[in-house]
Amino acid sequence: MQMNESKSGDIVVLSVTGRLDSNTSPDFEEKLLVRIKDGERKLVLDFGSLEYISSAGLRVLLKATREVKAQGGKLVICAARDYIQEVFDLSGFTAVFALAPDLGAASGHF
Amino acid sequence: MEQRAFILKNSLSELETLRERLEEFGEAWGFSPKSVFETNLVLDELVTNVISYGFPEGGDHAVHLEMSLDGDMLHVVLSDDGRPFDPCQTPEPDMSCPLEDRPIGGLGIHLVRKLVETLDYERADGRNILRLSRRVQRT
Repeated sequence: MQMNESKSGDIVVLSVTGRLDSNTSPDFEEKLLVRIKDGERKLVLDFGSLEYISSAGLRVLLKATREVKAQGGKLVICAARDYIQEVFDLSGFTAVFALAPDLGAASGHF
Repeated sequence: MEQRAFILKNSLSELETLRERLEEFGEAWGFSPKSVFETNLVLDELVTNVISYGFPEGGDHAVHLEMSLDGDMLHVVLSDDGRPFDPCQTPEPDMSCPLEDRPIGGLGIHLVRKLVETLDYERADGRNILRLSRRVQRT
């Protein structure tokens, strides 16, 4: 798992590459939650290069979504591949996460 | 019937070995990429449970996986010498409640149940034995 960051105005875009499983998700959680603690309130997770996600990754997404919402902010997930989208669907999280097809559409959520 | 078996150590870093094995078998058996992904997810969730909760006393343990393919039906037997744990008894999470109230556990088994045809647990000779079957797409 690798996470690269870019900023466009007050929106932070975090691009995640590789796999989010129980082995890699603690690192993902730490990197994501620290951005919220740092005061970022508009976060986009670009999953275009994410290959795999398990429930361990979903838990981090749920936790981060809750945290940022509690701070009056929002987390948007964009560009998730078909298989990742299927995991969102199976877990019932499609209605819980703010999902966008691409970066442009993600910006429209704020 | 084609068969393969392998062993994982009780470390979460072994999920990488699991991925490699499934990609090898998937290629040899002509699984679609979707079937490789879903099979990986099912076994990841079950192996993660065993490794995370099965050995509270620590030490080196082995998780055995035996896979066999019968047409488009994949059968997997997963066994370990950890403490007794029957994932079939895990209650289903309530997916209808609001985000703020949703419990964070139970998700892995929920995903497993959605992606298998059968899932059976047995405790025998001091071992947890999980048998599952799932339909796969072959190209």
